[in-house]
Amino acid sequence: MIEIKVLGTGCPRCKRVEQVARDAMAAAGVDATIIKVTDMGEIMAYPILGTPGLVINGEVVSSGRIPAVSEVTTWIMNALASD
Amino acid sequence: MDIDPILSYIGTLLVAGWTGLLDYLAAHVLLCLLPAFFIAGALTALVPKEAVTKYLGPRAPKFVSYPAAAVGGFVLAVCSCTILPLFAGIWKRGAGLGPAITFLFVGPAVNILAIAYTGAAIGMDIALARIVLSIIFGIGIGLIMAAMFGGEAVVGDESLARMGAGEARVRPAIWVFFGLLVALLIAGTLQVEVLTESWLTVTLPVNVPAGLVAMLEGLNLTVQGALLIGLLALIGIASWLGLEHVAEGLNGWTGVTLALVAGTLLVAAPRLDTAGSITVEFTGRFVVVAVLLTALGLVAVRGLERHEVQEWLWETWRFVKQIFPLLLMGVFGAGVFKVIIPPEWIQALAGENTLFANFVGVVFGVFMYFPTLVEVPIARMFLDLGMARGPLLAYLLADPELSLQSILVTHKIMGGKRNVAYVGLVAVFSTLAGWLFGLALAVT
Repeated sequence: MIEIKVLGTGCPRCKRVEQVARDAMAAAGVDATIIKVTDMGEIMAYPILGTPGLVINGEVVSSGRIPAVSEVTTWIMNALASD
Repeated sequence: MDIDPILSYIGTLLVAGWTGLLDYLAAHVLLCLLPAFFIAGALTALVPKEAVTKYLGPRAPKFVSYPAAAVGGFVLAVCSCTILPLFAGIWKRGAGLGPAITFLFVGPAVNILAIAYTGAAIGMDIALARIVLSIIFGIGIGLIMAAMFGGEAVVGDESLARMGAGEARVRPAIWVFFGLLVALLIAGTLQVEVLTESWLTVTLPVNVPAGLVAMLEGLNLTVQGALLIGLLALIGIASWLGLEHVAEGLNGWTGVTLALVAGTLLVAAPRLDTAGSITVEFTGRFVVVAVLLTALGLVAVRGLERHEVQEWLWETWRFVKQIFPLLLMGVFGAGVFKVIIPPEWIQALAGENTLFANFVGVVFGVFMYFPTLVEVPIARMFLDLGMARGPLLAYLLADPELSLQSILVTHKIMGGKRNVAYVGLVAVFSTLAGWLFGLALAVT
């Protein structure tokens, strides 16, 4: 099972990252839970520089930018492989 | 009850708002705001944060991290949703409280959109002062806060320097692209003889119907102004169709939108005279804008990757949606309030460049919350009502820095004592900045 977290206070860029994550999940043929972390205190607990941030299975894969669907798909596959 | 006077007063207010809107939509403002939005989009989409943050690590020497934080404020932070998390990140995982505070201060103050608009609507002197004084005082406030509270990063590891070090380079093509965009902005707005003199005057064998001109004049519009407003409306429609989903792919409407934007700039650039037959003066500005637009097109097609163009357009459109409608309402409102507020009040409080007047400007800025960019038409309104330029700058510096919302978030990030210190320092320095600027103007 994969757990994906989107770190962000809810601005359009964070929503975009969530959409990218969903598209990547569909591309990888994976069903996963997406948790949205919007509280600043919780967000800063992760080692990220800025929002939006993407966390897969507890590991920060991207921060401060909107990753491409292809990138996120790769990360999801990697996370699956290492499970 | 006789409602005629009330109706006619409301009519006056509406006309005032409309006139304000027209000034705003005037050619010279459009020529600056359109490129500025594209620059903002490019900064957000094409500049990886790592390019700046690699200079903000915990072991970076002060003379590197503070200027880097100031540059970061300019380049990285166009949206307030980006500034606050980045501030927290720089403090906790990077260079420490001082540079983080510098970033926090410079970011909203040197917002490219606000600077461009300030330059076109109020004056280049204030725009430049805004940049220079924000950077100087931003570094100053950062140093003071670091001295007061100790500046070490909470997590003193190299995670900042490590993160995404591979993406930290900015490609030459992107530098060129930025250069062209900025050149376009400057070419559109600079009042220099080379640009304002006509290189070619063409008289079209067409007359605009006198009735049309008269009707437009009744609405306070010139033919060129009406054309531009029409084009803007078309851009709005085309953008909804072509830019809303540009992240997923470019479509025909994207091309239409870009063509309309280019066309609008080209229509705004020359001088149009419609007394009798239509005379078009192709100014130097027109030629330069046309050349730059062509160059931009070439670089975008040959030097940028497709997904970069998509990101750029998506971010640009995001800013437009976020800012433009509120801006229109703000401009209209400023036009209305200009008629309602008695100039004597403004002149009594802030008509001269005293420390008190500058402090009043800061207080206005802190307590009157306006969405991004709306502080500029409000400042213009104050200027027209008689506020001196020094207090005006104080207002323009303080307004984007401090809002109830941002103060709440910074309180959460850095705690009560630091927050109060920060707010206090911003107030003091904005007052000083405005006062010094006013003095400098009086001397030159």
